Amino acid sequence: MALAPDASSRQAAAKLAGPAPWAQAGAAGDVVWGLCAGSGKLSYQVIADVSGPAYKCSCPSRKFPCKHTVALLLNWADGLVPEAAQPPAFAESWIAGRAGRADRAAAADRPAATADQEAAAARRAGQRRARVTAGLAELDMWLRDQVRAGLSGASGGYRHMEPIAARMVDAQAPGVAAALRDIAGIPASGDGWTGRLLGEYAQLHMLVRAHGQLDTLPADLAAVVKSHVGYTVARDDVLAGPPVGDRWLVLAARDLLDGAIPARRIWLHGQRTARFAMLLIFDPRGAFGAHREAALAPGTAVEADLHFYPGQPALRAVMGTRHDEPGPASRPEPSSNIRHLLNEWAAALAEDPWLASWPALLSGVPVPAGAGWQFADLSGQAAALVTEGTDIWPLVAISGGAQVTIAGEWSTDGLRPLTAWHGDTAVTL
Amino acid sequence: MTTPASYDDIVTTATVGLNQRPLALTSLAGPAGAHASVLDTADPAAALLDAAALLTAARRAGPLTATAATGPAAAVPDTAPELSPLACSVITVALADPAWLADLLTAAAAAGFRAAPPLLPALLDWAARARSMRPAVAGVLGERGRWLAARRTDWQLAVGTHSVIVSEDPAVWETGSRAERRSWLAALRRRDPAAARDLLAAGWSGETGDVRAELLKVLTAGLSEADEAFLEVALDDRKSSVRQVAAGLLAAIPSSAFNVRAVGRAAGALRVERRALRRWLVVNLPGSYDVAALRDEISPAPPSAAIGARAWLLTQFIAAMPLGEWTARLGLDPASLVEMPVQGGFRTDVHAGWRLAATRQADATWAALLLAAGEDSVPERPPAAWPTSAQLAAALPPDARVARAVALLAERRPSPEAAEEAADCPGPWPGRLADAVLAQLGRVARDPRPPHWSGLMLRAAARKLPPGGERDFAAELRALAAACPDAGSWTSEVRRAADTIDHRRRFLKELR
Repeated sequence: MALAPDASSRQAAAKLAGPAPWAQAGAAGDVVWGLCAGSGKLSYQVIADVSGPAYKCSCPSRKFPCKHTVALLLNWADGLVPEAAQPPAFAESWIAGRAGRADRAAAADRPAATADQEAAAARRAGQRRARVTAGLAELDMWLRDQVRAGLSGASGGYRHMEPIAARMVDAQAPGVAAALRDIAGIPASGDGWTGRLLGEYAQLHMLVRAHGQLDTLPADLAAVVKSHVGYTVARDDVLAGPPVGDRWLVLAARDLLDGAIPARRIWLHGQRTARFAMLLIFDPRGAFGAHREAALAPGTAVEADLHFYPGQPALRAVMGTRHDEPGPASRPEPSSNIRHLLNEWAAALAEDPWLASWPALLSGVPVPAGAGWQFADLSGQAAALVTEGTDIWPLVAISGGAQVTIAGEWSTDGLRPLTAWHGDTAVTL
Repeated sequence: MTTPASYDDIVTTATVGLNQRPLALTSLAGPAGAHASVLDTADPAAALLDAAALLTAARRAGPLTATAATGPAAAVPDTAPELSPLACSVITVALADPAWLADLLTAAAAAGFRAAPPLLPALLDWAARARSMRPAVAGVLGERGRWLAARRTDWQLAVGTHSVIVSEDPAVWETGSRAERRSWLAALRRRDPAAARDLLAAGWSGETGDVRAELLKVLTAGLSEADEAFLEVALDDRKSSVRQVAAGLLAAIPSSAFNVRAVGRAAGALRVERRALRRWLVVNLPGSYDVAALRDEISPAPPSAAIGARAWLLTQFIAAMPLGEWTARLGLDPASLVEMPVQGGFRTDVHAGWRLAATRQADATWAALLLAAGEDSVPERPPAAWPTSAQLAAALPPDARVARAVALLAERRPSPEAAEEAADCPGPWPGRLADAVLAQLGRVARDPRPPHWSGLMLRAAARKLPPGGERDFAAELRALAAACPDAGSWTSEVRRAADTIDHRRRFLKELR
């Protein structure tokens, strides 16, 4: 529900939710569609892609997303929308415009598509690429204008960013739109905000430049660029990739409720491969109850196959076959220290310069440092702890001034602790 | 620009805008400098963004580790066992209900357990928020909890007086925190009462008013006639809270001059006369008060406009008198005195004095008689001038208190005061009180307009019905909920109370 633009839309959407006004509703992968009976003769055509997120509705409402879209997503989250093999015509053209069908056709174990279908898919992918390219060119003009006119013009925050963010949604670059909405809070973030804002603008500028050279980039980097721009990769295509089997320990779960669609990020660590992985689960209502993976609790482990998304460093994954039920696991033995973590981070940035965070599994002691806290490892190295939005005290209590094992996310702000182990019990912070 | 541009240079330019402050970028500082050839040469704005991207990448990839700050020494290892995960999960449920939480913590401490570290912050938060929670929380802190409390001033203040580790170092008295000094003085008082009093007296005038009141309370332990002279000094204190503590302590020393003065003031106030074949209590209304009375914490201002000034003096004089004095002086047993009619319409004022005395002196005999004779409440009299029946009942021995509660609940519709008093009975409730409460709750379930004390009684039942005896009170409550004519919020509250009893049973099992 967090994606509804205001309270009245939420109420209006709640009225439309339920099976009654809907016809031809269906879902495939991340895309949901349906016809919603309106006040007129024609039903409204509603389509939503939750991975973006991106929406389309034929109603005249200027609210975005409109009540029909929100209601459709509510039904979908409640399991009222059946999976369908083939979207109806009104949805197909929109989906085709968004999805990189060319990638799909390339998947090895897919039955050979007819030449016509392949040609159509390639044409649609080309159309989308052109639309994104045009949108990003506009973004780059906007970015250049910002540094010409001076960053102080951005002090309006959301009002300043929203038009260009909305333009990026239209241009089918939802990843860029989300990034712009994320950074809209920077002008209100206190001293030094222009430096932080310029850093984010520069990252976007670099993304535009990289997108311009998409065809000449190495495949992995191209996949990274496309994921940050917001090209969607169908879940089925990811599942078609090679499985990585392991006993996956759930390190941490973090709910991200500020974005357009509430998401839960689940960090995993392979007990044999020592690989990190991240599952990302979206739920328009922020409840996550309907998703099997969302129930994975920190401190448990499951023997399962993961399939990683394209691009390096491979982090985001979907869980395929499970070979057993999640069960309790003992405390992990962290093999890295803070210096090691920073080296991993630097190596990851070399592959994906837009990377925002990196998983950490460490042993150390939380110590007060100035107004904040540090996490100090055995070697005497320390990293700043990000305590905003988390309560540091359970971690301090578990540590008692001695070594404690934690899992968390490293970013340029510092280390955000998410889970601490008290004996073999994982405590969510 | 001749020197290589740093990120700060670029930010300064971008903040003002290239239109205002042109910048020709040719070389960049640090590792980014090696890539300066990719800067856009056609558009200075694009070049600036390129340069910012390169410098940002370098900064993001190369964060500096800090050298670790020195933290506090690690906590001393605990020897007491930690509550099991199951017991901790019950505590987590109880965090929303302070009275129940305090019960659980007290039971855990009595069984020798301490709270698991992940629970400690929430428990210390409760101690900081509610004074009544402090002893219960302090009991389960263990070494880890005391170590944690020392990390935060609000926690330290909340539990410090209960759990400060007392060192015998005399420097604590000179330089310690308020809580540390109090604990140190209390420890000295246990070892050597006279030394503690003399030490307090020596620095008395140098302490602030609040500290004087707090430290004076330490003398409650080991109180004796030897303390009287110092307490008389404290009775002249500038601060009224100090004077109140001193008066309370002096009243607790039977032979004190304070009590002699109180007896002198009250002795003439009542006498027994035989009139028309009946014995009457005759009141001799105090004419005025003197400075000495004021000094002994007699207040000239009645707490309610309905009470006359002289009648209020009478009540206070009687209240300050040790109750045993009346039987000795008037030659009659307490029952006769309480039953006796009072001449001149002063019955309420006399009984108010006795009720105050019975609560302060915790006299079970007088409390029982006054409860049998008196009214629950008197209009226009606040508890300061008319202790409630519940306050008096607290002075009764447990059996008598239960018997009284059962009798109160036998009424078809008990008054709110009666229901509250019954619910106040300390748990675990014996079977007859449990039956009386369940009968009332059953009546509430069928009542279309349940009385407003019903929620309070249900919450008390959830906490005080014995969880592990022969009877399964959780099942009895569930049966009661099932018999409810309509499944409203009352039914779900009854089910929640049953759940609470189950939680308590599980918790107690974990303490074995």
